[in-house]
Amino acid sequence: MTAPLLKISGLNAGYGAVPILSDVNLTIQEREIVALVGSNGAGKTTLLRAVSRIIPATGLLEFAGTDLLPLSPEEAFARGIVQVPEGRQLFGRMTVEENLLMGCRLRRDPGGVRKSFEWVYRLFPILAERRRQLAGNMSGGEQQMCAMARALMAAPRLLIIDEMSLGLAPVIVDQLLVVLNDVRAQGMTILLVEQDVFAAFAVADRAYVMETGRIVREGNVTELSKDPAVRDAYLGSD
Amino acid sequence: MLLAQVLLNGVLLGALYGLMALGMALVWGVLNIVNLAHGALIMLGGYVVYYCYTLLGIDPLLALPVAMASMFATGYLLQRFLLNLIVRGALLNTLLITFGLDVVITYLGQVVFTADFRTINPSYSGANFMLLGLTVPVLRLIAFGIALLLSSALWFLLNKSGLGRAIRATAQNLVAARLYGVDPRQVYAVTFGIGAALAGAAGGLYGMISHLTPYIGSSLTAKSFVIAILGGLANPFKVILGGIVVGVAESLAALYIGPTYTDVVSFLLLVVILVVRPAHALRAA
Ligand SMILES: Nc1ncnc2c1ncn2[C@@H]1O[C@H](COP(=O)(O)OP(=O)(O)OP(=O)(O)O)[C@@H](O)[C@H]1O
Ligand SMILES: [Mg+2]
Repeated sequence: MTAPLLKISGLNAGYGAVPILSDVNLTIQEREIVALVGSNGAGKTTLLRAVSRIIPATGLLEFAGTDLLPLSPEEAFARGIVQVPEGRQLFGRMTVEENLLMGCRLRRDPGGVRKSFEWVYRLFPILAERRRQLAGNMSGGEQQMCAMARALMAAPRLLIIDEMSLGLAPVIVDQLLVVLNDVRAQGMTILLVEQDVFAAFAVADRAYVMETGRIVREGNVTELSKDPAVRDAYLGSD
Repeated sequence: MLLAQVLLNGVLLGALYGLMALGMALVWGVLNIVNLAHGALIMLGGYVVYYCYTLLGIDPLLALPVAMASMFATGYLLQRFLLNLIVRGALLNTLLITFGLDVVITYLGQVVFTADFRTINPSYSGANFMLLGLTVPVLRLIAFGIALLLSSALWFLLNKSGLGRAIRATAQNLVAARLYGVDPRQVYAVTFGIGAALAGAAGGLYGMISHLTPYIGSSLTAKSFVIAILGGLANPFKVILGGIVVGVAESLAALYIGPTYTDVVSFLLLVVILVVRPAHALRAA
């Protein structure tokens, strides 16, 4: 087994004096799609914030062999950790195209950037049509696509997506799931937080289940979907 | 005809007022700092041009870039080492710190420059020409042109460059900007530097058209504040327009009410705006 792309071990994090995550262990191999599921308030977003270095953390947090803990969010981004944050967090008073340009602002390969533009506009044709529209004036689904496209423009090594499907129609969720396979085919690795566990398990290789700040289950998705506890809690019992 | 002449003077002077406010509006919008030392930075820029001219014999218009560059450096360092403590902090803290900064700069100005009135008087300072029966003062026309030039440059920087996008992104969504690789400390320092550079240019022109003392800062801060509210924080051209509104209003007041009331005018405008125009119109870049 090769060294993991992301290695989290014994990680603790929280907000100020309030601890949320305790002793979290999670690894992701290169080119894997890993899902992180759990009920509301379990701490999924908090873990993603720790990985992207928005909040302080203690324990072990390594990316491609380098220690992430001393880094700032912008340094983590520069190393290829790119997040589609919860609630999209677009630059609302910038156009769609400007949002995408924010994604590729550190890239120094104009040819590659051009290819990325073609690629994301092919994945999301609506964005090409709405290039000049302010991102804040787009529909929820369009904004989610814009947020995904902005992240893809960065050519991430690790793409982190928080609640991709929230508030979106099932057909759009299906579209986005197809995109994820395309993304993996480009050599990227994906950490997917999803409340639609069916959808997440449909694309992921492995999954982690988080409850009150701890990882309580992990395994590949076929095994996990047979696990009675997981079925009852997240997949409905039928 | 007198009215037309007064309007022309108001427009020309107003554009310079707009240039004064440009840096304050930029810093306010991006860093959320109402910089009470902004006028003091204008004053410093004026003295840079004054000494370039009197000591080094550099034409004051050619000294404007010198003032801009040195004020950029001053602003950058101030932000990096002092004001970074208060960026996006509580309003009261930013007001206190920048007020303190204003006091310090003014005091140092008094020590270094003395309290004497200074004017920057190049050979062309009194020149004017006639156009359609109106007298056009050359220096004010040049100031007007430079105000338009610099506001256009700022507009292009903000809207058409990577740096400008990073600045606007930081103003719009700080966390998202950091997630996309923007170092906010750098953006804040550069933005403050640009604001100070614009103040520097405005100060040089002000010293040619009016006069310099170490104490001009606070009234120029107040005027810039009114114009920033009038023009908003997002669009440089609207800030210049706001300056023109104030300039014209002052000129009309001087004509119809009397020259002693000009300073009251901008504050009357402020009151009117705060009543008519809701505060949420004050949106950042
Ligand atoms: N900025 C914050 N300050 C303090 N507490 C916070 C903050 N953000 C989240 N929390 C708390 O941390 C806990 C975990 O929140 P988190 O957002 O990580 O949950 P989540 O698993 O992403 O939930 P959801 O599925 O609803 O998005 C919650 O109890 C929440 O109230
Ligand atoms: Mg969440």
